[in-house]
Amino acid sequence: MRRGLAAALLLAFAASAGAEEGEPPAWAKALRLRGRLAEEFAYRLHDPGDVSKIKTLGWLEGKYAVSESVAVRAAVRGWYDAVFEATDRYPANVERDQKTDLSLREALLLVGGGDLDVRIGRQQIVWGEAISTFVTDVVNPKDFREFVLPDFSELRIPIWALDATYRVAEGVSFEGVWTPDTRTNKLPKQGAEFQFARFPYRFRNPVVRLPDDADEFSLARSEGGFRLSVLRQGWDVSLIYYDEADKSPVLFQRRVAQPPGPDVIVLDPQHPRLHILGATLAKSFEPVVVRAEAALTLGKRYETADPLDPDGVVRRDTLDWLVGVDYTFFETVDTALQLSQKVLTGSATNLARPGVAAQVTTSVTLRVTTGFFDNTLNPTVLVVAGLNRGDFRLSPRIDYLVSGAVTLSIGADIFEGPHRTLYGQFDRNDRVTFTTTWRF
Amino acid sequence: MCKLALGLGLALVLVSGASADEAADLVREADRARRPADSFVWKIAITSQEAKKAPSVDGFEVFVKGGGRVFVRFVAPPRNVGRSLLALGRDLWIYLPDAGKPVRIPLSQRLVGQVANGDIARADYAGDYDATLVGEESVDGVACHVLDLKARSKDVTYSAIKYWVSKEGRRPMKAEFYAGTGTLLKTGVFDNFKDVGGHRLATRLTLTDAIRKDKRSVLDYGEVTVRDLPDKYFDKNYMKTLD
Repeated sequence: MRRGLAAALLLAFAASAGAEEGEPPAWAKALRLRGRLAEEFAYRLHDPGDVSKIKTLGWLEGKYAVSESVAVRAAVRGWYDAVFEATDRYPANVERDQKTDLSLREALLLVGGGDLDVRIGRQQIVWGEAISTFVTDVVNPKDFREFVLPDFSELRIPIWALDATYRVAEGVSFEGVWTPDTRTNKLPKQGAEFQFARFPYRFRNPVVRLPDDADEFSLARSEGGFRLSVLRQGWDVSLIYYDEADKSPVLFQRRVAQPPGPDVIVLDPQHPRLHILGATLAKSFEPVVVRAEAALTLGKRYETADPLDPDGVVRRDTLDWLVGVDYTFFETVDTALQLSQKVLTGSATNLARPGVAAQVTTSVTLRVTTGFFDNTLNPTVLVVAGLNRGDFRLSPRIDYLVSGAVTLSIGADIFEGPHRTLYGQFDRNDRVTFTTTWRF
Repeated sequence: MCKLALGLGLALVLVSGASADEAADLVREADRARRPADSFVWKIAITSQEAKKAPSVDGFEVFVKGGGRVFVRFVAPPRNVGRSLLALGRDLWIYLPDAGKPVRIPLSQRLVGQVANGDIARADYAGDYDATLVGEESVDGVACHVLDLKARSKDVTYSAIKYWVSKEGRRPMKAEFYAGTGTLLKTGVFDNFKDVGGHRLATRLTLTDAIRKDKRSVLDYGEVTVRDLPDKYFDKNYMKTLD
């Protein structure tokens, strides 16, 4: 990986050197390299007030156009988080999990012929119209080790997949996706800054939690689906079906006799099969854009604290839907307002998953952004609030465009609400952030 | 008397109809001075300046195919590289690498400086506006027709445009862009006419804020390549491939 990175950098310098001497060679014209370096610093506001991130990140992306219809793309990302040198607040398992990372974010062969385009390799496949939430964005697993705070393109975990799109007619396209790469969501370890609230089990017996060994390539457990997109008279509609294993673990319980001692409760993380039916819609009614999205997840299971339930898990098919509007006030203030709901087919009593406040869980998202001084200073405010129990997330940020390549950002992430809510669980994790990004 | 009034009325209708046709022709011909062919690629640089601050420059590669299809790739500065815009008629999407998907946006949303997304992606005045000849004026010594353009629907960038088109050559010279409230938003000046592929084209448009006269953006239209572009370049699901 490191040798490949060095070779790519050498190629970039060679290409630019060639350009200085005159017309660049043909291969250099077909090659595009770009990347960025960022320094991210976060300071936790609540006791104990302390640094929570001193992360140096780098990305390098390349695209080589072999011909008009064939191209290859690759992207790598790496980071080093020095916070583990600056504080001993995090346990060793968190340090092992989050201190360094070097990953292949993209390795794609793109082949296009006529109305058919095929993308084969490691990639992100992104569906949906929503902002700041996932409804029909179901193909890639997610990295939740920093909750949902990073950009979604950083949150999604790339998978090895085949993605083919065929243009059936003008404004109509059919996309099929298949992957044997059955990766699951990455969750924060015990003791991490954004570890999720633990399920309120009340066991009197000893408990053993089995490891989650679900990540594997498996033809038998392949995942896949399709999306039909239609654009007619400005109405942008798509229908989606996806078949996958639940990317989050569901803890099934069983009792194991351990004579002469008490029975042991074994928590076995499993990934039940899901069938997702979805639809998206977007339409411009200038100067307003309306967007909507819905996903019905069949086979969804949730842990229950009901002591009478034999395996501690209940099935609740789930409908997630949202509707949003975008409007620009005074020609300069871009706003996006979104209402969303999660609806369970059954009672939510005894379900203690953050994000499920009741049988119908409602939330509102508002994002406001504008620009000053010829858009060199861009403040943004994002508010996401759960209406059932009053928990919310407030993320203000100011981006200062120092130059065409350098951006400074200062921001905060504030969480409030009852402990067993999606945002309230991080009530004591409020932080301020400083980020410097250099793009090349 | 009734016949005279009827005759005069008919004459007025015919004359106004003829004027309306002439106005529409003027706008159509002026539109041609801003597009060299039915299918082409144009490199545009937008220099935005405010007061005495150093100007900022944004670069775009604009792919145009007849029928109101425009794809805009952001090529400079580095912070914008990877972004793109797609306009199909009055429908607009932006592709942001951070989002990983195309997102529907309104035409009026800000692009850069004084330039709205619609200024780059949708500049077909003949298709979007009803034109009326309202007079004649001179702009920088050039005799011009003056036209009032009213938006045909709410789905366009500006509610109204006051447009000066030269009598000789029917070239766009100047424009004033208005909001629905009648507020003047900005003014535009077309100049730097050059012969490109047999067409006389306006290769510079300067947009100035109506209130803050020291805020302006200059669109410089550079290298143009006339070629047949594949239809898939104008499919929103193809935007990530063109990144």
